[in-house]
Amino acid sequence: MRAQPSAGYVVRFSRWAIVQHAVMIVLFVALLVTGLPQKWPYLEASRWLIAHLGGIFAVRWVHRMAGLLMAVFTVVHVAVAVGGLLLRRFEPTMLLTRKDFTDAVQNLRFYLGRAEAPPRFGRYDYRQKFEYWGLIFGGAVMVVSGLVLYYPIAVSRFLPSELIPAAKVLHSNEALLAFLIILIWHMYGAHLNPEVFPFDSSIFTGKISVERLRHEHPLEWEEMQPRPAETAAPGEAAPGAPASPPPPAPRG
Amino acid sequence: MSVLEGGAMSPRQLSAAGPPGWRPSLFRALIVSTLLGRAIPAVAQEDPSSACFDCHADSSLTLALDDGSEMPLFVDSGALAGSVHEGQLVCTDCHQGYDGDHPSGKTFASRRAFVATAAGVCKECHFETYTLNLGSVHFEALERGAEDVPTCSDCHGAHDIHDPHQKQAMMSGSCARCHRDVFDRYSQSVHGKALVEEGNDDVPACADCHTAHRVERPRSASFRFGSPEACVRCHGDAELMAGYGLSTDVAASYLADFHGVTASLARGGHLEGTDRQVVVVCADCHGVHDIGSPKAISAEQMKARVAGVCARCHQGAGTDFPAAWLSHYRPSLRHAPLVFLVNLAYKVFIPFMVLGLGLQVVLHLYRVAIRR
Repeated sequence: MRAQPSAGYVVRFSRWAIVQHAVMIVLFVALLVTGLPQKWPYLEASRWLIAHLGGIFAVRWVHRMAGLLMAVFTVVHVAVAVGGLLLRRFEPTMLLTRKDFTDAVQNLRFYLGRAEAPPRFGRYDYRQKFEYWGLIFGGAVMVVSGLVLYYPIAVSRFLPSELIPAAKVLHSNEALLAFLIILIWHMYGAHLNPEVFPFDSSIFTGKISVERLRHEHPLEWEEMQPRPAETAAPGEAAPGAPASPPPPAPRG
Repeated sequence: MSVLEGGAMSPRQLSAAGPPGWRPSLFRALIVSTLLGRAIPAVAQEDPSSACFDCHADSSLTLALDDGSEMPLFVDSGALAGSVHEGQLVCTDCHQGYDGDHPSGKTFASRRAFVATAAGVCKECHFETYTLNLGSVHFEALERGAEDVPTCSDCHGAHDIHDPHQKQAMMSGSCARCHRDVFDRYSQSVHGKALVEEGNDDVPACADCHTAHRVERPRSASFRFGSPEACVRCHGDAELMAGYGLSTDVAASYLADFHGVTASLARGGHLEGTDRQVVVVCADCHGVHDIGSPKAISAEQMKARVAGVCARCHQGAGTDFPAAWLSHYRPSLRHAPLVFLVNLAYKVFIPFMVLGLGLQVVLHLYRVAIRR
């Protein structure tokens, strides 16, 4: 039941997932570059950046447009994900399960030398799920609080006006949290981690090597293998064989 | 009268250890004197001004001007005494060119024409101040040909010039003479009352906000966006405000707010060419010349006033909309509890996440390292 380690790659991400990840990079960077200087407007560096981006009005315009696009992408992403799950087009591999929590505990025990082996992960490990759900919930917080700040009059007509300054601190703090998580967690997981250094290319090419798949997502790999009753020629399924239809989620 | 002509300087002026601004012009005068081949007169034995008073002490002495009016030429012999120029200038330092054929029979078009010409003499020594004035709204009007534009002596006086940094001195003679209505409003304000009635020097007088010489057009975008700076200069000064029991949070809270950030960043004219007012500044809520103490009116009145200000730009803003502004308070459980709690939650949550994720990264690196 084992393929050759060097037998090739497996298609891991759909084109839709690759596009979403690329769009997310552009929008996230645009929002950070135009947003963080507004969080600390009296820093010399912020003022330099704002001046060189065309002034505060241009910066705010870009920020709002990027934010609206981010909101649209978030809504479309959730709609596609929910729709796909309801129509059973793909498996709910990104949903949190009890195993994710036990995996996290076992993984930390392994890091500390208290467990013999790391947990065996499925299609997404708990670290990737953490980042995915952080992005979904953080994105929702940013979109809602951003819209409150964009349309303060409309909001104040139906809800207490104190929500507007509250939305401002929420937006500002949640942005910092997202930035720090991406800086620490994503930059490590996808770039600085010695196992993928300098750069994990699978979300750009859509492919992952069989070797890495077997090492990082052993349960997914095993599920992919044809059952003994179905095949007469074991080992031929691996190269270039598409995985089960991938979910729309980017890999964290 | 050739006030600009580089005449001989008085020996007193040469020996005077005046303020620093004097030295370049003294130097220039020396060079001019040398180039013209004029010897610097020896130290006079008697007061060179005394000859002037032979005639100008006569209170009936006048000069017929071209416009038909008469200009009094009487000068109080004690006029310079007590002025900033006492002991430093004599008559001919300013009134140059009257030596030989005096009185020459020359006259001026009008009193204003004489005053405007006479102003040229001040820049001989106060050149920096003169250049500041070139950018002012007053100079702009002068260039357009307006006559009633203040020149040096209109604000500072001619013979009786006092230290312009004394607020009382500055207020009494200068701006109010032309801007009477503004001054009347100002003198009813919390600042004006303190200055006019109590002689309080802490409060701003005209020039503290408008500046003295480079008086900017007050409705320009750059003056408007820059105006909070004038307020913050005092209201951000903890030591000064402590004396009046006022909080310096007013400055910090305004600058931390969306509008304060806009005002501070939009300076430099990003709005030039538009008449859009995208930002609210201190004066929009508190008033300009008629600033009153916010404590003098009720919270309800204040809220209604702020609501009116909001509605000027935010069409459809209701009476509750001012609650979107934290009223210069720092968020606390009493004022804006929701804002306070959201902030507090993140103050705990962000370090918790950063430390947790950082720890896991470090542990992973440790695992990778010992496996090798």
